[in-house]
Amino acid sequence: MKPSPKLRPTVWDGLVVLCVAALAVGVAFFQWRGGTTEALTAVVSVDGTEADRFAPADLLEAPRTYENNGYTLEVALSIDYEHPASSALPSSGESGLRVARSDCPTQDCVHTGTISRSGQSIVCLPARIIIRLEGGTPEDGGVDAILG
Amino acid sequence: MKLTAKQLTLCALLTAMALALSYLENLFPLSLAIPVPGVKLGLANIVTLFALYALGPGEALLILLARCLLGALFAGNMNALIFSLLGGLSAMGTMILLSRRRGLSVYGVSVGGAAAHNCGQIAAALLTLGSAAPLYYLPILLAVSLLTGGLTGLASACLFQGLRHTDLMKG
Repeated sequence: MKPSPKLRPTVWDGLVVLCVAALAVGVAFFQWRGGTTEALTAVVSVDGTEADRFAPADLLEAPRTYENNGYTLEVALSIDYEHPASSALPSSGESGLRVARSDCPTQDCVHTGTISRSGQSIVCLPARIIIRLEGGTPEDGGVDAILG
Repeated sequence: MKLTAKQLTLCALLTAMALALSYLENLFPLSLAIPVPGVKLGLANIVTLFALYALGPGEALLILLARCLLGALFAGNMNALIFSLLGGLSAMGTMILLSRRRGLSVYGVSVGGAAAHNCGQIAAALLTLGSAAPLYYLPILLAVSLLTGGLTGLASACLFQGLRHTDLMKG
């Protein structure tokens, strides 16, 4: 006869929770640190190879499209239309980059929404495409707002 | 490993249930609320946890492998196989180790399994994408695993409670 499992939480369960939480905090500390003094840059990797690198402001001209593994992603500037005066290039608030359209089956990349800070990324697993923001700090001198 | 007809039938039944639960949770994608790739409730982990205690590690591993393989086949997405295998095997290994600790309940084992599953999936993403970028999501996934692991632990506890007096829990 197999031993019956304990069905009520114990103190030892709390230790497991603490270990998981500590791991999360530890990884966050190393992964979510601020950027560098360089300007904020979007880096697009396809199949693990850097395919494009651009300043987010470049998306003002037109969205960029990337194809791989049979899927197509459209990367666009995300603007906070609720507060257009404060809508800026990715540096603060809800403004930043987003995958506006994708024909991948999971749509996780679209659901990820806007990324705006250094270190953040949008991953599309089916297309094997990563859009990652690098460099940049709140004081990096990026454009503060788009007016008019 | 020799299986009796009863054990084999139970393994097949649990595999079918795990597949059904995986399909069911796709109808309610957690990623709509928490937009992170790979985030999910992990309902199939209830079956893994149940098999681990009711049948043993060997049978639970068989069910896991069958579920991963059939799930990828039915979805027509063999690329997803490495994610489900690495995630599932990480969770299984962790839950086997934790289930041997007498002080832990199904809640602790479930939370540990959920966290390990997410670590395994991130490892698969690192291998597949050839980039460290997916590590950015690990803290969020680990935090979510506290919630999802607790929920699947609760469901498992209810299941064990309901089946405590049946032959299933007597091996």
